Amino acid sequence: MRRVRGQLASGPRLLLLAPLLLFLAGAYGIPFLGVVRWSFTQPEPGIGQYVKLVGDPLVLSVFLRTFRICAAVTVCATAGAYAIAYLWVRGTPLQRGVTELCILIPFWISVLTRAFGWLALLSNRGLLNSWLEGIGVIADPLPLVHNEFGVIVGMTHFLIPFAVFPIASAMRSLDERVLLAARGLGARRLRIFWTIFVPMTAAGIIGAALIVFVFSLGFFVTPAILGGGRSVMVAELVYLRMFQSIDWGLGAAISVVLVLIVGLLLALLFRFVRPASLAR
Amino acid sequence: MSGYRPGLFAIFAAAAVAVFLLMPLLAIVPVSFTHTRYLAMPQGQLSLRHYRELIDNPDWLNSALLSLRVGLVSSAVATILATAFGLGIWMFRPRLAALLVGFVLLPMVVPPVVSAMTLYFLLTTLSGFNDIVGYDSWLGVALAHVVMIAPFAVVLVLVALSQLDRRIDLAARGMGASVAQRAFRVILPNIKFGILTAALLSFVLSWEEIGVTLFITSVNAVTLPRLIWMGLHDNIDPAIAAVSVLLITVTILVLLTRLLIQGRRPIAWSSRARHRRQLSARRDQAEG
Amino acid sequence: MKSHQDHARQQEDCLHILSEKLARGEISRRRFAQLAALLLAGAPLAFRSGSAAADSGQLVLVNWGGDAIKAYDAAYGKPFQQETGIVVKEDGSGPTEGAMAAQVKSGKPTWDLVDADPFSAMSLGKQGMIEPIDYSIVDKNKMRPGFGWDYAASTYFFSYVIAYDSKKFGDQAPTGMADFFDVKKFPGKRSLYKWGSAMWEAALLGDGVAADKLYPLDLQRAHDKIKAFKDNIVSFWGGGAESQSVLMDGDASMALVWSTRAMLMEQDSDGQIKFVWNQGLISPGALAVIKNNPGGKQNAMKFIASAQAPQRQLVIFNMLGQGPANPATDALIPADKKQYNCVDPANMSKQIALNMDWYSENYGKALDDYTKVISA
Repeated sequence: MRRVRGQLASGPRLLLLAPLLLFLAGAYGIPFLGVVRWSFTQPEPGIGQYVKLVGDPLVLSVFLRTFRICAAVTVCATAGAYAIAYLWVRGTPLQRGVTELCILIPFWISVLTRAFGWLALLSNRGLLNSWLEGIGVIADPLPLVHNEFGVIVGMTHFLIPFAVFPIASAMRSLDERVLLAARGLGARRLRIFWTIFVPMTAAGIIGAALIVFVFSLGFFVTPAILGGGRSVMVAELVYLRMFQSIDWGLGAAISVVLVLIVGLLLALLFRFVRPASLAR
Repeated sequence: MSGYRPGLFAIFAAAAVAVFLLMPLLAIVPVSFTHTRYLAMPQGQLSLRHYRELIDNPDWLNSALLSLRVGLVSSAVATILATAFGLGIWMFRPRLAALLVGFVLLPMVVPPVVSAMTLYFLLTTLSGFNDIVGYDSWLGVALAHVVMIAPFAVVLVLVALSQLDRRIDLAARGMGASVAQRAFRVILPNIKFGILTAALLSFVLSWEEIGVTLFITSVNAVTLPRLIWMGLHDNIDPAIAAVSVLLITVTILVLLTRLLIQGRRPIAWSSRARHRRQLSARRDQAEG
Repeated sequence: MKSHQDHARQQEDCLHILSEKLARGEISRRRFAQLAALLLAGAPLAFRSGSAAADSGQLVLVNWGGDAIKAYDAAYGKPFQQETGIVVKEDGSGPTEGAMAAQVKSGKPTWDLVDADPFSAMSLGKQGMIEPIDYSIVDKNKMRPGFGWDYAASTYFFSYVIAYDSKKFGDQAPTGMADFFDVKKFPGKRSLYKWGSAMWEAALLGDGVAADKLYPLDLQRAHDKIKAFKDNIVSFWGGGAESQSVLMDGDASMALVWSTRAMLMEQDSDGQIKFVWNQGLISPGALAVIKNNPGGKQNAMKFIASAQAPQRQLVIFNMLGQGPANPATDALIPADKKQYNCVDPANMSKQIALNMDWYSENYGKALDDYTKVISA
């Protein structure tokens, strides 16, 4: 039965799947293979670059720092996005209007403006420290920027609005009657939230976490400005290798390794998640 | 009894996030009014010079219009391609689905610098054949943006589809609907919101895109982020703060207008919700 | 049937005549532009296929953006356009070594002139990616001795200097790198340059190495010094704006910054942020020409030659604070501004010049090690 269905449907299936696949293969896949080739041919043919990668302590520490920061950002951004998406989808019209404003406004602030905005807020003579000192909570300014804390704050701020969309999409299609029924049966709010609402919006949470994590791996402007130049993350390392030292082979090798690592994480993710969400 | 509304804790949590999201404005809005030529808080003196700069210097308007053009085209194309792809995956569940989706997500995973190089070589090669879509042309930029944006759109469409009850598709199939009918009459109308968010996110991603854009443009196709970044190495022009404030003001006005138009009528998210509201309203009336 | 060269020469003659007419006021600027465009557009396609776009009438100059765009346009771009009719467009994306290499490797470079580090131009030139400077067009005598290289023409100078928050130190001013690294005498945090240049020299000078014994740089000693001092460094700035904000926001009390930025900071802060020339490290800026550039080698060289005019370099100094490459310009700088000229004889004597030969051999590896030290 399935085979027959497959044959019958092959025409439309191709029409739907092919355009994007062909487009990406041609516009990205093939040129990217050229880049991958660099990792094996520049400056000399062989796997020398990969060997160098493994033995280079800077690369290892950069990878670890990157994954650590991106994981922290993913957790914060997804949680924050969930909180505000909840009000955006399920709140009263006034609540919905206000949260919509708050979600959309940050999009219009370019990443550079945002980074310098946070710098102005968090630096020693910045707004936050001045205010805290003014009300007497602290005596000396807190080091809130030029370190990893500043980076996490800046990146989370950037990514929350992006995480909101998949979560809101999932929340929206949740049938309200299920929640009402649970309440009618006597369940308390917290219980309803954890046992019904969150599992039913799981696809949205996963989609959001995926977008945020992968997107954050590519950040280098915000960490550069808010990290004090010390938190070099993998995207900036690749930039350094490709532009300051023209070591294209090494830059390509780092990228390939990154893709492999993320691919592995995604494969693991889909192992646990796929049965539940995609094939319902 | 007016539906399941968020409780106090949820409101508080959302409010905290909302405040966090708006915090940079505390710095950016004042900075846009600074009288100095560099980014600083105005110490007493306010000035409109940076707003005037936006009007006087035609580069700003030209870049904004270019970014708008590129954004509309690339978000439309990316959303259409992503929707088609998502439908294909959901409706036919091909055996290699995970691999196909993984491949489509590639531009999202690769470090932007490497994507930039990849697309740079693609576009310079294209420039060898034609003058319209290539390096430093707005269509070339749109092309590159579609490549970078499509993965995000795909994720959003897949999330929307995952919330769909397969049984309505099965029912349609059982009644003899063709693939096209299933797609256009049954599935797409139910993921309208998801597609819309994919389109909106795509537009914003294109509007903000700088990593790749910096590489594939020079003096002709200068998008807004590119213009802002021209000064990265040297001085940061407070005009960029003014740009943000202007755009935010426009957004606020648009959203307020929409709220006012929808006015007293509760915003109906779907016909089902409206129906439910009507039912509960009638029930309230009956209960007195 | 005229040869391509005859045609090109004829075009040049016509343009020359037109520009003379313009200078004499016989035709309006608009008319000039129209006629020039007609002339250039009239070149049959057959001739174009030959030497790329030699009569395209445009040059793309890539520099680091920001104020430099307006300054280069006003000082060099517009006058050159008036003389030759060639439009000079500025691209502020920043010509890093890798970006230049990518241009050449693509086979179809779109950049003509680049405001590149001389040592980058040197190492790329050795790989055949940069056009050697044609010193029959560019005048080596209009440059300071020792600063005309094979692949780059000296166009300006700037220094890495000690800038400090005078509010924190009262009348005491730092007198050199030893003071920079002394947090007891001058308390507070420091900020250094992220991309290494001049920081090694600063560390060695601060560690007691004599100025004339700096090269070849003892990188191990420099990195050890920086590593030991790391707790006192609040940040490593990557761009001009960051170096300014770290001092003006109060996060650092002293920083090693570009002299051009220091000059602006002094003005912007009404004198609160000051700087000293003592043990400043002079860094040369230069223009290089990309191999097979679209605008033609000749035009690019002509542009560089035109940028040597003292009057034009004076405009750059006034707008950007960059020290002029042509010694003849020094005399043109008014007395009250001489203190900002990093290559003014009085200031130059207190400073040390960075050695471009050393950088062209060692910069890449040194930067790698430096990055490791500062990010650990």
